[in-house]
Amino acid sequence: MNAVLDFPYLKPVLITLVIILVFPLVVGYIVLAERKVLADYQVRLGPMRVGPYGFLQPLADAVKLLIKEDIIPTASDRWIFWLAPVLSTVTGLTAFAVLPLSEWIYIADVNIGLLFILALSSVGILGLILGGWASNSHYSLLGALRSAAQMVSYEVAMGFALVSGLMVAGTLSMQGMVAAQQRLQIWFAFSNYGLMMIPFAVYAISAVAETNRAPFDLPEAESELVAGFHTEYSGFRWSLYMLAEYANMFVVSSIAVTLFLGGWLRPFPSVAWLAWLNFVVPAALFFLIGAGCAVGVKRYSDHRVFGGIMIVLTGAMFAAGASFLLPPVNARIIGLFWFLLKVAVILYCYIWYRGTFPRFRYDQLMRIGWRYMIPIAMGALIVNGFVMLWGQGGERVQ
Amino acid sequence: MWKFLRTVLLVDLIQGLWVTFRYQQPKYIYTEQYPAQRPQVAERYRGAPRLNIHPESGQTLCIACDLCALICPENLIVVTSERNEQTRRKELTTFTYDTSRCMFCGLCEDACPVDALELTQDFELASYTREGAIWDRQMLEEGPLPKQYVR
Repeated sequence: MNAVLDFPYLKPVLITLVIILVFPLVVGYIVLAERKVLADYQVRLGPMRVGPYGFLQPLADAVKLLIKEDIIPTASDRWIFWLAPVLSTVTGLTAFAVLPLSEWIYIADVNIGLLFILALSSVGILGLILGGWASNSHYSLLGALRSAAQMVSYEVAMGFALVSGLMVAGTLSMQGMVAAQQRLQIWFAFSNYGLMMIPFAVYAISAVAETNRAPFDLPEAESELVAGFHTEYSGFRWSLYMLAEYANMFVVSSIAVTLFLGGWLRPFPSVAWLAWLNFVVPAALFFLIGAGCAVGVKRYSDHRVFGGIMIVLTGAMFAAGASFLLPPVNARIIGLFWFLLKVAVILYCYIWYRGTFPRFRYDQLMRIGWRYMIPIAMGALIVNGFVMLWGQGGERVQ
Repeated sequence: MWKFLRTVLLVDLIQGLWVTFRYQQPKYIYTEQYPAQRPQVAERYRGAPRLNIHPESGQTLCIACDLCALICPENLIVVTSERNEQTRRKELTTFTYDTSRCMFCGLCEDACPVDALELTQDFELASYTREGAIWDRQMLEEGPLPKQYVR
């Protein structure tokens, strides 16, 4: 037993397993949240029939996708058609290896963490291009070409924005970035007298373009290209693409959180008397959700199964809230809570943009990328560099 | 200058975001969960026809005067009657009403001298066959009985 416990890779292997097993479910619920929030924006209800308030919809969707007939077009390039979604998913999920989910929950802390993620996301584009090409369909090919052009354009702006952040952090290691923010006692989005807001904004916009989300979802523009690069995909392969898209969204949001928004640090990490935030915010949040579930219990009181699910949910929410009030438990999981809360806020913004902005035309997309995003990111890099020189190095940045 | 600042600070985009954000409030939700919750139709709504029966005796109120069939612009009402030799009164035998041709103008219910024929607020008139849209006397007296799919 001790031999197992002393195994140095025990923790990384366990966390990897948990992420691979849990993340598809998480993606299902992100999709459900997206459908619900979009429905709210459009004064609809969204999924309501599977489970209480549509709570079990992701499971129904998963079953439907898994038992669907697996179609490979005869004219397609079978091997590449098979490989492409796998490539996208593998790169999307591998990027989780360097995410600092909390002070002690991470798989690896490598000294090129951010570079690793950027390299993987570039390989992930290959999955889209190969999928579009192997389908042997005009729509897929056009979608793939668009995605290639778009991602290459926006990766430049994103890279420059990240370099600004790296300049302040002074390290490529993901844990190192959070440590630097703890040491300098500021979230890097507000660093350099607020000038870091510019690269943060550039990053936030090009991250949306990078993950092919609305209003930059040209590669899968349904009004023009049916479904873009995954037109010919169905069933499990399609769900792999979906998984990859949401994994990429999660990873890109995680970079924003880690580099600009303090990672797993609480708000105002340097102000000691604000330490009550660690207890009050998670407890209040979970108790609020629990109270919302309690309303559902009343509503579904005449339905045995749905009512039972709501009771279990309510209990789980109150238990989670209560566990954050216990100091030893709190100390272990509060980092994860803050990290996931910040990521959730950014994911909500993704859905918000999707519900608000109409899709760009292709020339507008390219113009924004090359004529605005890249010059602004380069200018911000130079300005931030001079401000840091003036403030005598990254160690004394206000 | 002002316009430039608006563009740089993305004011218009933020205004748009604020509009969508406000619409999240649940009180704006417009969706009806139809089979579970039946919508409230307006009081003056004219829907499925009904032949009223006397609430106590259970006899039909219709006196088979044929006025509704005469006034109907679509000629979709057919009333047949039989003279009862004992009471020396016309008695209704059959009454058919073709809802597939009805435009719900309501002239028949206006013409009815005894308030026997009435266009109700029921709106579930769908049927799997054309013949099913032609309602006989029994159907008109019972009204449409929509299937309940939800407990």
